[in-house]
Amino acid sequence: MAARSTWTRGRDTLGALTLTVPAAAVYVVLMVVPVGFAIYYSFTSYNGIPSQAPEWIGWDNYLRIITDPIDEMRPAVWVTAAVALIGAFLVNAAALGLALLLQRTNRFNTFARAVMFYPHVLSALIVGFLWQAILGPQGAVNNILAGAGQSTLPFLSDPTWALATMIGVIVWGQFGVQLVLYLAGLQAVSAELQEAARIDGANRVQVFRHVTWPALAPTVTVTIVTSILSLLKVYDVVLGLTNGGPGDATQTWAYEILAVSFANNKVGLACAQAVLLILVAGLLSFTIIALRRRAETGAEAVS
Amino acid sequence: MSTRRSRALPATAITLATALVATACGGSDGGDEGGSGTVRMLVNITDNLTQAKWDELVAPFEEETGIDVQIEGPTGQSVAETFPSQLAAGTAPDVIESIFPSPDTAPEILDLTEFEWAQDTPMSDLYATDGQVNVVGVGMQAQSLLFYNKDLFSQAGISEPPQTWAELDDALAALQESGVPTPIGFAADWATGVQVQQMWHPQQNVATPGWQESVADGSSTLGEQFEPMLAHVSDWVEAGYTTADDVATDSGTQEANFIAGDVGIYPMGSWFTTTLAASPPDFEVGVFAAPVDDAADAPGPMGATLAFPYMVRDGASDVDAATQLVEYLVTDEDAIATQAEMDNFNREGLDVTTDEYSASVQEIVEAAPSFAVPGNQTVGDYALPVAGFNPKFTELVQGLWQGRPAADVAADLTAWYDAEATG
Repeated sequence: MAARSTWTRGRDTLGALTLTVPAAAVYVVLMVVPVGFAIYYSFTSYNGIPSQAPEWIGWDNYLRIITDPIDEMRPAVWVTAAVALIGAFLVNAAALGLALLLQRTNRFNTFARAVMFYPHVLSALIVGFLWQAILGPQGAVNNILAGAGQSTLPFLSDPTWALATMIGVIVWGQFGVQLVLYLAGLQAVSAELQEAARIDGANRVQVFRHVTWPALAPTVTVTIVTSILSLLKVYDVVLGLTNGGPGDATQTWAYEILAVSFANNKVGLACAQAVLLILVAGLLSFTIIALRRRAETGAEAVS
Repeated sequence: MSTRRSRALPATAITLATALVATACGGSDGGDEGGSGTVRMLVNITDNLTQAKWDELVAPFEEETGIDVQIEGPTGQSVAETFPSQLAAGTAPDVIESIFPSPDTAPEILDLTEFEWAQDTPMSDLYATDGQVNVVGVGMQAQSLLFYNKDLFSQAGISEPPQTWAELDDALAALQESGVPTPIGFAADWATGVQVQQMWHPQQNVATPGWQESVADGSSTLGEQFEPMLAHVSDWVEAGYTTADDVATDSGTQEANFIAGDVGIYPMGSWFTTTLAASPPDFEVGVFAAPVDDAADAPGPMGATLAFPYMVRDGASDVDAATQLVEYLVTDEDAIATQAEMDNFNREGLDVTTDEYSASVQEIVEAAPSFAVPGNQTVGDYALPVAGFNPKFTELVQGLWQGRPAADVAADLTAWYDAEATG
């Protein structure tokens, strides 16, 4: 009996391993190994050319980032923080608002959902170029304004306007995914509970506040985390829309890594900047998930 | 012009894939003994330098030698970005056009010093490091040029193109007074930094010949070198001769504005003549050399870069074939003429002008007392020992259009150089 039990356990373990090992191997090769290399390179002076070996320099790259002797990283961190926080708020507000408007299934809403998702299908670089053509100093909007005898607007030529414009364009390009998530989340909200609340005399706002919103908590957590993670590494839109300018007004953390450090063959420094970005992204994600735990518990109660 | 900002990571992945495919295809070709008989050449692809024109350029060489030349465009935003990515991926091409060796890539480039033909190529002395030649070209592209609208000049009562900075200031004031929308046109991205440097080369090299060496040995600073020029730009911004919209307008659009007659003066390198020849404006275009402080020094040294620079990768699959190709491109008269049609350049002792605009530039080049290499040169005795000069210069200089004082921008330039030179 004991022998049979051992054999069964062994067979189960083998089965589990057969299912797990390939996935784990893929994960290790595609995720752990590259990140491991990035961490190693972050402690070296390395230009990325294999024939020229990396030189171990300890924490120098990190010290350079922290001391920021030429004020490169501080502006990039502020721009990234603005993009991530303001952008995440706007992306989620727009996505949730539209999801509430489009949640009923009919022909128009199906068409409207496709239209709303369309910007996300476009390459981020193309989104940047597209809006550059629309909002540039001689873009479509300013041409119309000038034609109407009005003064033009500095969408991309004034630092503050350029940052606001960039956030707006990023939101336009990204909210489609969050919209789909919210639509899916809304489908899972109990229709009976909403109906019961209405019968009890709750108006639309009250139904949303006390039934729909709490039930959406897990979806909200996912959309906030995914939107912030996505916004933290914004790069292509920046390249197409402003190329980081005017000056350094729209240079993000990812732009600093890719267009400044990597472009100048400072692979070691770029890796240190990337490792710190990974840590910040991880820290933010876990913090948001921890903060949202109580709301999600409430959602389970509503369910 | 190959100076552009980079877009590295997505490009790296594409570079890897493309170069791997190209290598796989190239490697299977037959060839001469001791080599693959195939040369992969990475080139700059633009509106003027199309894939078809590159193919046409190398076709006679292929026919004569039997060597197969594969033309590859940049997989990222520029050759400057693509080549290091390919080196990192182990898929670098054999010949590289349009960029110069940098301190990082120089060890990967073949030393051409032993070849007699390489020593005789234009500007080989200015681009040599301690006499070592590792990049060769077909001519020079004059940089310190200001193209102007002769009609607008006449309308503003300006009879002669300016020779000094004071005269240039007077001309800009007159253009503004006569209602020209943009007395002097600057452009976004790489162009801002390049334009400001181009205009300053003559006076900078009158004041401090070989200024890069002075910065490198610590007897001068980058900020000191550029502060007077930054002050000029700052004054022009304050006077409204150029606005913040200019540095958010791409160079193609600003060139179209000049051709449309909205810009009085447009500082740009000699390659702009190709655009002018393709879309001739309704007005007569003039060109003058960037000014100097004292009329007695005019014209000053002309800023110039090597036109069609070529490098051979040390370790190319067929070094001999790659070297033969480069020799052909920089010495064969027909090849040089073909390249002159592709993109304007000047060459002493050889008339390669193809239109009235390039002929005007040729006159200025011939009148120049000497040539000076720009600050963003990455190789040779006159190279600043830092990477990324033009992008950083552009970023900081654009601050002038946002009201930053010239002294602050100059101080930041010095701080950047100090951090980069030691780091």
